Amino acid sequence: MVDSVAGSVGNMERRASAGDRSARAKFAIVLLAVLLGVTVLLSLASGASDASALAVVRDGLFPSMSDGSALSERDRIIVYDIRLPRVVLGVLIGSALAVSGAVMQGLFRNPLADPGLVGVSAGAGLGAIVVIVLGGTVLGPLLAILGIYTLPLAAFAGALATTLVLYRVATRRGQTSIATMLLAGIALGAMAGAFSGIMVYLADDRQLRDLTFWGLGSLAGATWTKIAAAGPIIALALIASPFLARGLNALALGEAAAHHLGIPVQWFKNVAIVSVAAATGASVAVSGGIGFVGIVVPHLLRLIIGPDNRYLLPASALLGASMLLLADAISRTIVAPAELPLGIITAAGGGPFFLWILLRKRGLLDL
Amino acid sequence: MIEAQNISVSIGSRRIISDVDFEVRPGEIAAIVGPNGSGKTTFLKALTGDLPYTGRVVINNRDMAGLKPWETASMRAVLPQSTALSFPFTVHEIVKLGLMSGRSGALAGEERNLPERALVRVDLDGFAGRFYQELSGGEQQRVQLARVLCQVWAPVLDGNPRYLFLDEPVSSLDIKHQLIIMDIARDFALRGGGVVAILHDLNLTAMYADRIFVMHRGRLAAAGTPQEVLSDDLISEVFECGLKVGRLPAGNTPFVLPQSAAV
Repeated sequence: MVDSVAGSVGNMERRASAGDRSARAKFAIVLLAVLLGVTVLLSLASGASDASALAVVRDGLFPSMSDGSALSERDRIIVYDIRLPRVVLGVLIGSALAVSGAVMQGLFRNPLADPGLVGVSAGAGLGAIVVIVLGGTVLGPLLAILGIYTLPLAAFAGALATTLVLYRVATRRGQTSIATMLLAGIALGAMAGAFSGIMVYLADDRQLRDLTFWGLGSLAGATWTKIAAAGPIIALALIASPFLARGLNALALGEAAAHHLGIPVQWFKNVAIVSVAAATGASVAVSGGIGFVGIVVPHLLRLIIGPDNRYLLPASALLGASMLLLADAISRTIVAPAELPLGIITAAGGGPFFLWILLRKRGLLDL
Repeated sequence: MIEAQNISVSIGSRRIISDVDFEVRPGEIAAIVGPNGSGKTTFLKALTGDLPYTGRVVINNRDMAGLKPWETASMRAVLPQSTALSFPFTVHEIVKLGLMSGRSGALAGEERNLPERALVRVDLDGFAGRFYQELSGGEQQRVQLARVLCQVWAPVLDGNPRYLFLDEPVSSLDIKHQLIIMDIARDFALRGGGVVAILHDLNLTAMYADRIFVMHRGRLAAAGTPQEVLSDDLISEVFECGLKVGRLPAGNTPFVLPQSAAV
């Protein structure tokens, strides 16, 4: 008897790690951080000009190591004022898109929720378009008060309104219907599109050009001003995300079970919705609609490290940033010296990936 | 002790539960029985704070209405009828969610092994690495019970009894696992906790419950010990078919009672 108890305790020790993927997840996060570092350096170093970022960084950080070949002022400007803001914006947007996708999937308890697919980005876009078109006239006073924050805040408001309506429509008695959510997303996207169309109709030629390029989704035209406008909002949402992880894990069991585990569910859902809307709104405001990052990145990571949001959220931020920088590098170089809008690259890659998920999870929809 | 007085629940304009009184003491299993649609689950949801109710629920001398979710989470754990997941969690990861509230009551150093020990208790030794979604309904139900057990591992915390709420804990289980699960409930009660269970099997109820609450059309039809409650008249009326307590089947029709099990 004593022997068998001792034996089973021994077995327990040996098996203590079975099904526990936290060590693997932590290791993956370290790898992803390294990957992001490498991608950032590569992005700084590459571009249409042959300015070497490495030389700039070396000269900036370790002037004593400089080999004497002084960098031209032109290279310095290219790296600091063109490439660096673009890389910083890429990191911010990539992590915001991936994290808001992951949070939304946790909130709706289904892996197909993504701000781009269910109309939230379209709502954010409507908010932004209204400001772009009416900013010079009707909304002039608002612009005077809010300054550079008008655009991201308007996009945030549009995203928030869409998310709230979507949640109301798709959730009944604590259960979210996947089919209702996707269909409601189509309706909301169409409505936002219709109002956006009215705005486009009202726009003048210069605004039309702005809208077209913005609508395709791109990091081109990244400036420190844009970063200052969207950065704080995105940063707030990213900082909030680790605090959402525990609640999202509990929510995976359903709203009632999350409540039984001690989560203040209603309050928690509101925080999650606001942070998704903030991250999506601010991203859309500065870079337009860049699709599929929010669905591809968390999905890939769940296959590798599992769905525990304590690891999934930081890992999504890191991989989202890396993937967006890589996609941006492709967009800058594939038709150089011209450049392809980033949204086209992510859609071309993300669309087939999404179909692959649908094929694997066909039973999940149960329409 | 949990005491509920005059509990009524309405959903929309429809009254589902009317004036139900209920209590469960530490050391006891209180079973709620009744036909489908009699309001058992709705009443349990009022007790666990999932549905708004009128009346008063007092848990360990504190009014439930004034407690924060994390406070109630340290006093009671709830096993739902079934739980479907849309993300690929492993069994270990699900069971570990029970430790989230941080008040398992296990000794320091024991907590790390708690998920595995809970799985052994529900007869799922070695399932930790499996994917939850790949298990059968009965296995999933036992994984959830292991999670719930982790949440209130010690039936008494800081001198206060804790409670298990089980909504049809054995309805998808085979007879062996029905007995294992009910033994876990009895053990929890014997060590000083309280158990509230919705049950359908009257034989299991008679075997394990210390007190039975019979619900009928949203009201309490009877309450008392199994001997008091399980009478021909009462259960015939409540279940609307002429049942006889203790009557053996005619001829040589075989019948199997859980009471006959030698565990």
